[in-house]
Amino acid sequence: MSLVELVLTVVKILIIVMFFLNMAALSTWADRRQGAMVQDRVGPNRAVVPLPNMVARGIVLLPPALFGVLSIFTSLGEVTGRLALERTTVNVQLAIFVTWLSLLVLCAKVRSGGAINRAERVFEDVDPRSIFFAGLGVHALGLVAMRFVTPQGAPMAAKITGFVLGAIFLIVGFYATSRVPEGPIPLRLAGTLHALADSIKMIWKEDFIPKNGDKVLHGLAPILTVFSAVVVAAVLPFGNDLCFADGNRNGTLDFSDLGNLVATVPATGQCTGFRVPLQIADLNVGILYVFAMTGTGIIGAAIAGWASDNKFALLGGLRAASQMVSYEVAMGLSLVGLFLVYSTVRMGEMSAWQGQHAWGIFVQPVGFFLFLAAVCAETKRVPFDQPEGESEIVAGYFLEYSGFKWGMFMTGEYIELVFSSALLVALFFGGYNLPFLHPDGLTVAFGDTVLFQYKMTHLAVSVISVLAFFGKTILVTWVQVFFRWTLPRFRYDQLMKLGWTKLLPLAIANMMVTAVIVVALRNAGPAAESWLKLLGDISQGLVAVLTLAGTVALVVGLLEPVERHKFLVTSSARFAAALGGVKPTAQEA
Amino acid sequence: MEPLDRELDEGTLELPSEPMMLNMGPSHPAMHGTVRIVLELSGEMINKADVQIGYLHRAFEKMCERGTWTQVFPYIDRLNYVSPMLNNVAFALAVEKMLGVTVPERCQYYRVILGELARICDHMICSGAMCMELGAFTPFLYFARAREIIWEMFEEETGARVTHSFGRVGGMANAPTKFFKDMVRTSVPRVLELVAEGEKLLLKNRIFLDRLEGVGIMSKEDALALGWTGVCLRATGVPYDVRKAHPYMVYDRMQFEVPVGTTGDNYDRFMCRQEEIRQSARIIDQALAQMPDEGPINIDDPRIMLPQKNEVYSTIEATIQHFKIVMEGIKVPAGECYSYTEAGNGELGFYMVSDGSGTPYRIRIRPPCFATTQGLQQLITGLMIPDVVPTFGSLNMIGGECDH
Repeated sequence: MSLVELVLTVVKILIIVMFFLNMAALSTWADRRQGAMVQDRVGPNRAVVPLPNMVARGIVLLPPALFGVLSIFTSLGEVTGRLALERTTVNVQLAIFVTWLSLLVLCAKVRSGGAINRAERVFEDVDPRSIFFAGLGVHALGLVAMRFVTPQGAPMAAKITGFVLGAIFLIVGFYATSRVPEGPIPLRLAGTLHALADSIKMIWKEDFIPKNGDKVLHGLAPILTVFSAVVVAAVLPFGNDLCFADGNRNGTLDFSDLGNLVATVPATGQCTGFRVPLQIADLNVGILYVFAMTGTGIIGAAIAGWASDNKFALLGGLRAASQMVSYEVAMGLSLVGLFLVYSTVRMGEMSAWQGQHAWGIFVQPVGFFLFLAAVCAETKRVPFDQPEGESEIVAGYFLEYSGFKWGMFMTGEYIELVFSSALLVALFFGGYNLPFLHPDGLTVAFGDTVLFQYKMTHLAVSVISVLAFFGKTILVTWVQVFFRWTLPRFRYDQLMKLGWTKLLPLAIANMMVTAVIVVALRNAGPAAESWLKLLGDISQGLVAVLTLAGTVALVVGLLEPVERHKFLVTSSARFAAALGGVKPTAQEA
Repeated sequence: MEPLDRELDEGTLELPSEPMMLNMGPSHPAMHGTVRIVLELSGEMINKADVQIGYLHRAFEKMCERGTWTQVFPYIDRLNYVSPMLNNVAFALAVEKMLGVTVPERCQYYRVILGELARICDHMICSGAMCMELGAFTPFLYFARAREIIWEMFEEETGARVTHSFGRVGGMANAPTKFFKDMVRTSVPRVLELVAEGEKLLLKNRIFLDRLEGVGIMSKEDALALGWTGVCLRATGVPYDVRKAHPYMVYDRMQFEVPVGTTGDNYDRFMCRQEEIRQSARIIDQALAQMPDEGPINIDDPRIMLPQKNEVYSTIEATIQHFKIVMEGIKVPAGECYSYTEAGNGELGFYMVSDGSGTPYRIRIRPPCFATTQGLQQLITGLMIPDVVPTFGSLNMIGGECDH
């Protein structure tokens, strides 16, 4: 392994580890926050960092100023061809985005704190929703306007829009800085700091080890749990393969080549230069490595239960061990159908296949649900949380843990949650692919009929693919957090029965049916192949339409004004109102 | 090398196994902090269970002998702290039985309405807490929301959300507020709506049904032998409800059904509670329609009721009367009596002895929970640890009245 490969691997590891740790902290926060929200309170929001005024102003000013200067500076250079068009598009869209977002923030500020000059007074009566919708409209207009930019005019347009974008950034930055109030500024970040504060607190809490417990194993168990949760991420492909040209023509990839990202790649993703996969280790055992490593997580839970010298913990450890061993079988077998379809176990190739054909959830719907159930059981989350079932065996296998060791168990659990979401994305939700986005750009085609084509550079496609992967993972994580608050948990024997008598036979049946279909289709000839291609394209279209509809529904739902009507005001509420206070009354619903 | 086919006695191959003793409670999330169950386990199966109560013992009966009859009310509140109003009414009725007086009709309706509201609250919290202990948090929040509405009504009527101490011998502490009827008429449908919403999350959920159906079965005969009453008895199929069997106050004028179960398992207990909520709402509806808008709330007897405050300050007779009732208590004629009503969990009885002074000579309570908790051991033996949670939850054991 050459030095440059080593450096690249370290960078990739950093990206993955930072993402997983941050997402673990954020999902801890989201879990507690959602729990708080269903209980109608604000949730953990007390951690606060008082920033000195100068620092606060610096934080507000620096990023926009930096971006503004950067934008103006990059616009000074000459760009031509497709790059110019792309840059113009990005500039226009960014400028619109920054404008409406700043107006939105300003509007919220004016409505809560009052206007300080005549210009701001305009916003007093403006509904923030209208700013948002107007912003969306202008975005669409901007896209339409790009049609009128001719290839000859593109370099000039890129330059002008770059300057405009820079100016907007600078204006927003300086105006926002002038709006920062005097005195120290409390920084809360919507309560996300609370997770950080908690993890710092855990370091100093007493590390309790039961008197008759096994001290070595007691310490080893949380390490094993976190270890297995983190290492599995090594095989996740989190973006398109990058393609570098050999600049100095010496036949090896070295640091000078890292600047030579090829401009475009063909639709098949073929790379003539050096291919750098966005995946820490492209193992040929692929997904099997994941199974092997999650298997070691069991040992951590079992050891923790044993070493704690507590009967509840022992029961928890036993439950964890038997549950995870049972569901490991179903989890593995539920994916065999997928291997047959993809004809590979390498994660990178699986993602690439889904980009070219159809997403895994369409080719293996049964396998998806089986795998989802099994993976929920593996991560020990509701309704499969018997190992910790707090109303039965108190906290199960980590009952006797405190301080940082407890924190490691919790972090491990949430990393597993994020990882399982990432795995679901990589296997069933198209990995880093977006519908109709091919390595050479956007091509909306059904079968051989091309409806729309938009060529993009390799850089743009790669950036979008990385964002798509992480975005999808965040979405799936959020959905998994959502499950938690509604479902009751299984009983231990019901769980076992589900695993062995339902999931396992279904997984085997799914495997056999898939095998028959795959063999039949492989021998069916070219006509069937083109039909399959068309079906795949339709599934991609379906995803695109559903995503758009879902986004619109979500936005509309979130922006819907909440109407609460008071149908009864009690005396205590009236007294509180007379004194100038508010009694939050349940009669308001 | 040893030969592989060595003859081995089957008995020596078995690992030695002895049952594991496990202390569940009293500080255990599902034990409400008030019960301890010593379990003898084989794996997760419960071979033997020893239910030990008494962790909330506060010498309630002895305390009652230390003050006047009226001063018992705050203790009564804390018997079944989930539905204190029913206890209040029960105790007031018991003392009135000793005195041989009946409160005015308006007060009887008032007591019925408040009592039924408390019953709704009691059943909702029992069902909700059971779901929460099974891991389903969201339905509990629907029920808690509905309870909040009822508590707001109690706060409006009595000034206190939980421990009202609102009952008085011979009436209530206050007349209904001006908007009492409107308030109840608007709020009860909303409560039922929330209950239905919470149920929707549960009753179509396979996991929830699997956890309840066929778990913790109690036969009719055993339930009667154990002295069970209330929802737990009715779930086994015995339609015994004090309100129907021995109507008190104005319950004989009300149209309502007594829901009964068939198997007496957790599911039946849950469903009986849910149905009783709806029946209580029916009773409230009828009582509201029949309750007169005008008329006295308290009986007109200066030996029992405190005089008006303005008279206490202006006339010597009222001052003396006030002094005597407060300092010596209401003179209850010597004798014994057993009075019983239908409380949240079943038949709540008071056996009282008076020596003719203003202080109870002896008060003995017959809490419904005490009898139902006796059956817990029988219910959970042979089940698994996770089954303890819904079984114990559906019995709705309340430490305050059980540990008397």
